[in-house]
Amino acid sequence: MFSIEDLKGKAFQQIDSRAEEIINLSKEILVNPEPGFREVKTSALVSKKFSELGIPFRSGLALTGVKGEISAANPGPTLALIGELDSLIVNEHPFADANTSAAHACGHHCQIGMLIGAAIGLNLPDILSTLSGRLVFMAVPAEEYIEIEYRNSLRTDGKIEFLGGKPELIKLGEFDDVDMAMMVHTTSTESEGQLCLSGTNNGTVAKKIQFIGKGSHAGGSPHLGINALNAASLALSAIHYNRETFKDEDTIRVHPIITKGGEAVSAVPADVRMETFVRGKTIEAILDANAKVDRALKAGAMAVGASVNIQTIPGYLPLRQDPLLAEVYEPNAISLVGKDNVGHISHRTGSTDMGDVSNLMPAIHPYVGGATGLGHGATYVVENYELAVITAAKSMVATAIDLLYDGATTGNRILSNHRPHMTRTEYLTFMRNLDQDETFKS
Amino acid sequence: MLSIEELKQKACATIEQHKDKLINIAKDVLNNPEAGYNETRTAKLVSDEFNQLGIPHRTGLAMTGVKGSIKCGDGSGPKVAVIGELDSLVVNEHPHADPITGAAHACGHHCQIGMLLGAITGLANQDIVGSLSGEIVPFAVPAEEFIEVTKRLQLRADKRIEFLGGKQELIGLGEFDDIDIAMMCHTAGDMGEKKFAVGGTSNGHIVKYVQYKGRGAHAGSAPHLGVNALNAASFALQAINANREIYMDEDVVRIHGIMTAGGEAVSAVPSDVQLEWRVRSSTPRAVLKNSNIVDRCFKSGALAVGASVNITNIPGYLPMKHDTTLKNLFFENASALIGKSNVIVIPPENNRGGSTDMGDLSQIIPSCHPYTSGAVGAGHSKEYLIKDYESSVITPAKLLAMATIDLLATNGGKAQEVIANHTPNMTKDSYLRLQRDIASEIYFDGAI
Repeated sequence: MFSIEDLKGKAFQQIDSRAEEIINLSKEILVNPEPGFREVKTSALVSKKFSELGIPFRSGLALTGVKGEISAANPGPTLALIGELDSLIVNEHPFADANTSAAHACGHHCQIGMLIGAAIGLNLPDILSTLSGRLVFMAVPAEEYIEIEYRNSLRTDGKIEFLGGKPELIKLGEFDDVDMAMMVHTTSTESEGQLCLSGTNNGTVAKKIQFIGKGSHAGGSPHLGINALNAASLALSAIHYNRETFKDEDTIRVHPIITKGGEAVSAVPADVRMETFVRGKTIEAILDANAKVDRALKAGAMAVGASVNIQTIPGYLPLRQDPLLAEVYEPNAISLVGKDNVGHISHRTGSTDMGDVSNLMPAIHPYVGGATGLGHGATYVVENYELAVITAAKSMVATAIDLLYDGATTGNRILSNHRPHMTRTEYLTFMRNLDQDETFKS
Repeated sequence: MLSIEELKQKACATIEQHKDKLINIAKDVLNNPEAGYNETRTAKLVSDEFNQLGIPHRTGLAMTGVKGSIKCGDGSGPKVAVIGELDSLVVNEHPHADPITGAAHACGHHCQIGMLLGAITGLANQDIVGSLSGEIVPFAVPAEEFIEVTKRLQLRADKRIEFLGGKQELIGLGEFDDIDIAMMCHTAGDMGEKKFAVGGTSNGHIVKYVQYKGRGAHAGSAPHLGVNALNAASFALQAINANREIYMDEDVVRIHGIMTAGGEAVSAVPSDVQLEWRVRSSTPRAVLKNSNIVDRCFKSGALAVGASVNITNIPGYLPMKHDTTLKNLFFENASALIGKSNVIVIPPENNRGGSTDMGDLSQIIPSCHPYTSGAVGAGHSKEYLIKDYESSVITPAKLLAMATIDLLATNGGKAQEVIANHTPNMTKDSYLRLQRDIASEIYFDGAI
């Protein structure tokens, strides 16, 4: 019988011996960035690695997802280790794709490295014969909520229902056989240390908005027109006028863009389009702010006598990390990077579809350092791959061993203490109810 | 029997004799300004002067109006009203403002009382009235300035008035039923070297009293529990401004207002915000159209933050329509009195942008509302002062007397001509219907 430390040592040693290969995988993905639901090359790389490792897998899940799995010798719970396949689109990023502008400005390429690294570390006979349960390695598509237009077309074509990868995988039942999930995300925030435990993230809904006015010669007969740009501009003001009613603790974020603002200066703009997210810390807070945003959008339309079409698209749910799972992760983080280098943050105001997973099962989403620059910006690059890929992989491996060791005592204890916020059915009902298409005529 | 020219000379000579007294009366009114429906002292002054001149009159019409009667000849024939407006504005910083009320004659109405009494002084002479036919009705009227809306709404609620403008109220009371022709003269400060102006037109308007109701809350500790009525109003003002591009140039749209309540304390989310607003345009139709746009904007403000809004639409004034014959009479008399080169003829479509309830009267009976010089500074501002009382009181007094003589001499022939050639835009009944239809309340709740 191997001790926990024996197992971790073996896994670490295996990862270290193949560290260069693992890091090179991340770097190869870095220079072949693909945005969500288009991660064809990245997905193929993952499949190739699973094949090489002899890990059975299925691919093409939610278009590009790859799910490998290995069972330990003894029965027990299933733990999913997750890596996100997709890139952002950041034109000016140094590693942006010349044609598509896709770029890994959020470090997901490191996640695939650490996912494969973890598989390499755990897929050892000594480990599998000792642990109890199953290990699922999931390379998931489309965490970044971008290219809404494109994804809507996929939705129209019946290829996906949800615009984020994990919600789509949940719908497809790919999380039905998973009891607990974890992933590690890169961070460039120095104060977060080398490995960082975090608590919650904002959830979000996405909105596509179209103000419909009436075109007319802007010089010759503005009185015959209805200015949809004025409607949109006033709607933005109306949103701002509501900001004082957002509670600090709800960390509401509303940040629209105008994607179409008129065809020609000489014509009264008749078709103006906006997109926005409405983010908040709790579902209730998101719904409240979302209703205020809808009202503000209608006020903009009413102000000038325009119409507005508001499409509300389910986004991501607030992330609620399981504290007991974090308690297992933390000592591993400390032993890997030292207590002083382990950070703690309670809440982040961005959103992730790991939030959706976390509403269904115990999940954690800690952060690993190694990146610099601003997340989602042209300056976000990973400088310390050893930390961002190898150390992160080890932290997941060590946690997995802790959870499934000794008849998965720890894993089972976490599961028995966890009260999921929603069942999968409740989740899907909630998400589908969020889906709204409303036209307001004034 | 004196000729028309001799009658005019006699009237003008009498006015000239009383010049100092007339100017002093105007200055006395200047120094005792009273805002509309409050002009008790000014009305008493007029009544006392009428008594001295032996003119029978009634007082207290539409609160403070004074209406006299000078029968000419056997009293049969056309009735011509010579009007002077009693009321002041409220301009706190005006040098002649009442220190307590802030009332101030920043629009020169005090001169109108001087010129009204001057014209009557010139005409109230047996030689003259004996040569004329019909009746001269000197009429001091209240509340031309459409201000202090909340106070007047209270008067309305108390059933003391129906309309917020003096001439509107007097029309409603029937005090113009017996008048065939009405005229007055207003001071102006924008004539350059010229002395007198006839013609042009003015805007009609609708007045709005707007009240936003939000929900008060501690602005620091619980803003999320509040509904900010000031934000609602602020948004509405943006909305109103965003619509300016759709107003027609020819509609001479003027949309403006003030906020009379904007919150009780900085530390509380404002829950009660009130505005007085005005929508002016060159035609009653445009006024209604643009008023609807403004109503929509006020509602959108409520919707923007989930407040409620109550809009009280109050009938305002109608555009001024000068009777051509009357206008020509003033032009001829002014040319004769002060020289043709000093008289401006403003094209009928030339809209001053402001509004007057003389416009309401002009929709029903032949009316004229020329302008006389003598003022400096922007109207309705603290800079508006009368620098030349001769031009602001004496000249127009003479011109009102001369026009009256023209109209009522030779058996009132000219007045009959004016009446015969005049096509009224409205009857009194259709006027009252229009205005009463405008009087409305709109309530809109923007809560989710």
